[in-house]
Amino acid sequence: MSNNTIIELKHVNKTYGDTVVLKDVNIEIERGKFYTLLGPSGSGKTTILRAINGFLDVTSGDVLFEGKRVNDIPANERRVNTVFQDYALFPHMNVFENVAYGLRIQKLPKAEIKTRVKDALHMVRLDDLADREISELSGGQQQRIAIARAIVLEPSVLLLDEPLSALDAKLRKDMQYELRELQQRLGITFLFVTHDQEEALALSDEIFVMNDGEVQQSGTPVDIYDEPINHFVADFIGESNIVSGYMIEDYLVEFNGKQFECADAGMRPHEQVEVVLRPEDLDLTAVDKGKVTVTVDTQLFRGDYYEIVAYDGAQNEWLVHSTNPAKDGETVGLTFDPEDIHVMRLNESEEDFDARLESYEGE
Amino acid sequence: MKKSTTNAAFYVPYGLWLALFVVAPVLLIIYQSFFDISGHFTLSNYATYFQSGTYILMTINSVVYAFIITAVTLLISYPTAYLLHYAKHKQLWLLLIILPTWINLLLKAYAFIGIFSQDGGVNGFLAMFGIAPKQFLFTDFSFILVASYIEIPFMILPIFNGIEELDQGYVNASRDLGAKGWQTFTRVILPLTMSGVKAGVQAVFIPSLSLFMLTRLIGGNRVITLGTAIEEHFLVTMNWGMGSTIGVVLIIAMFLIMFLTGERKRKGGRA
Amino acid sequence: MKKWKWSNLYLIFVFILLYVPIFYLVGYSFSAGDSMSNFHGFTWQHYLDLFADTRMIQIVVDTLLLALLSSLIATIVGTMGALAIHRTSRPVIKNTVLSMNNILMVSPDVIIGASFLIFFTALKVPLGFLSVLLSHIAFSIPIVVLMVLPKLKEMRQSMLDAARDLGSTTTQVLTHIIMPFITPGILSGFFMAFTYSLDDFAVTFFVTGNGFQTLAVEIYARARQGISLEINALSGVMFIFALLLVIGYYFIQQGAQTRKAKHKGGETL
Repeated sequence: MSNNTIIELKHVNKTYGDTVVLKDVNIEIERGKFYTLLGPSGSGKTTILRAINGFLDVTSGDVLFEGKRVNDIPANERRVNTVFQDYALFPHMNVFENVAYGLRIQKLPKAEIKTRVKDALHMVRLDDLADREISELSGGQQQRIAIARAIVLEPSVLLLDEPLSALDAKLRKDMQYELRELQQRLGITFLFVTHDQEEALALSDEIFVMNDGEVQQSGTPVDIYDEPINHFVADFIGESNIVSGYMIEDYLVEFNGKQFECADAGMRPHEQVEVVLRPEDLDLTAVDKGKVTVTVDTQLFRGDYYEIVAYDGAQNEWLVHSTNPAKDGETVGLTFDPEDIHVMRLNESEEDFDARLESYEGE
Repeated sequence: MKKSTTNAAFYVPYGLWLALFVVAPVLLIIYQSFFDISGHFTLSNYATYFQSGTYILMTINSVVYAFIITAVTLLISYPTAYLLHYAKHKQLWLLLIILPTWINLLLKAYAFIGIFSQDGGVNGFLAMFGIAPKQFLFTDFSFILVASYIEIPFMILPIFNGIEELDQGYVNASRDLGAKGWQTFTRVILPLTMSGVKAGVQAVFIPSLSLFMLTRLIGGNRVITLGTAIEEHFLVTMNWGMGSTIGVVLIIAMFLIMFLTGERKRKGGRA
Repeated sequence: MKKWKWSNLYLIFVFILLYVPIFYLVGYSFSAGDSMSNFHGFTWQHYLDLFADTRMIQIVVDTLLLALLSSLIATIVGTMGALAIHRTSRPVIKNTVLSMNNILMVSPDVIIGASFLIFFTALKVPLGFLSVLLSHIAFSIPIVVLMVLPKLKEMRQSMLDAARDLGSTTTQVLTHIIMPFITPGILSGFFMAFTYSLDDFAVTFFVTGNGFQTLAVEIYARARQGISLEINALSGVMFIFALLLVIGYYFIQQGAQTRKAKHKGGETL
């Protein structure tokens, strides 16, 4: 644990009867960064949030805040604040009273409350809305008020539970920029929950990918995108072609009946592996120049690229993002570079994965 | 075209009911209040009501009793409804709350005649501590107690519904913002369940003004409420005019209560 | 955990409060004595008296018939009223009708009783079964409306549009789509109307003549004369009856709720 660590979950488990919701979760969160818990619904990300803000008793394991165990400290005494998914703005109070709520609870002097609420509203760019009723606000405004209500208390960590999920696509994009900017301006830790992988990649300093109550992989967006640890992560984040193959030796992998140079190492010889090729790393070329031969099935125009679905001789599906269109039914070659190949071992733990990467990337 | 004709057909029986059993009776009772016992048009009923101290005093008494009954039921019912919301098997508990309302009110009143009688349950209980039998029946106390007993379920149910409708998210948000249990209760839970409380107050206060059978059976004619007076005038002295006048007062009181406890719509309305 | 215990203690206290009078009443129906004090040993005698009391049996049958008939008619009229209100598009009319609907809901019983008495007298309707029946129908209609309306509101317009798009006539939409959808509301309304009728004392007391008695009126008359353990026996019977009714109502509600839960589950999954 470094000095900068503010929240730590150690071997946290949560079960309801026979249902396991969290399985040995270990998470370390440092001061001042933007973290994201990313996973499909039911993967346990909100459960982790609730273990941190105190609305959930974990079955076993420790929740540490600044090195102290806080499992038994009630929610109202924890120095984290939450932006709830449905915002939970109090309908019987106006905007000012909502934002002032936590300060009034602390019985601060009126003048201080007023300035701090004003500052918080300024922070979310809604200076003029103090006297509005909650029902008069748009979804985006409500979302910002919910943020203002939480940050006015100057928490060391702000938890955000899918705060953008209720907004439409355009507003969502705008809010992504604002959230990122706000986090940098405030300099406090954000722990953000989302099921939207694009959002996670765009916003985060670090991502925890969750599935089935377990943290599958943690790391920077680039690490996770480029070097997913397993099939789930590769599939959930970005789009990918995943084929099974064998590792012949270090830096040589076999799939589709051919051997390819690659950038991965540290596996046992002839170990069964899965190979990830991102669609944007594949290029169309002539059949004789291609490493894999496929027949184009369908293609969709996506604006900045064509999304092409093609099948190889063994009827494996290949997804290609290409700037040039192909013809339906045309047989083409696919080409890629050795570093575009990412090889994944089956059932590798995150620890082993990190150690292995370190061992050969350090060379 | 077709829609409006079928709609009109639907309105016929219901509209007939509205006209005959809602509008007409109210108008009739107002009309009747301007006639004296021998059928002459007069304003003397109202004059009597406002000039003789008895009626004013009785009205005040009646309102005070209703107020006490409402306060007692509210005090018992809110915590009950609140705890019920968080209880396990709450549907079952709720069922047990509803059950007594299905026992005829007269039977419950009758039970208290036995419980409060000179050698009844309460005095028997007190005797175990060596306390001499006391007069419970035919006192203000027994009237208020029995009326509260009867009204409790009608207060619990709307409050319970109000608490059930309350989004747990607000409670969590309040705690997240640092509020302790009591602070969350007074600042968030209570204001947001006020509509249930108001509905409960409506459901208890207005009937409490008119529980004439209880005043007769339990209050022993010591307690006279507006309801008792109306019953007296209509069914005993046959002075319908005076009875109607008191009825009009009761109707006005009812609208006043409705107005005071009614949802005042906010400017923007609620989403 | 500690808190849990204390809160349950309070709940149990309230429940004891609610049930003591009822059990007191029913308990003494088995007492060999003739007053509600000093239990005199077990007997079924009061129940035998009750079942031999033909006047009482007649009144019970009358009361049940009245409840059944009045709630049936009130359900029909109330459902039609709810449909009419639901289809009324002008908010002014809608709100006015709704407020008028609620007048009888909030009116004190004595007012309803007294004003109906004036009304029947003015129209020269003889006081007796007919006047009581009309009164019970009248004060049961608004509760039916209030039970059916939310169901109608729950119904999505697109569903009706879909039915019409698939070729249904207005009548077919009503019988095939709307009626099945609002049936739970209609049943609740009927049930509430039935209990309103059974429970009523004050209104009946005002509008009944000498020839027709309901149970509540009879109990009032007897209770004013003093304690008769036959009434306690009657309470015992009615308690069982109420228990059955409540359980019946519970299952109607549960049915509606599980259906609702299924809907919700479908949405979240």
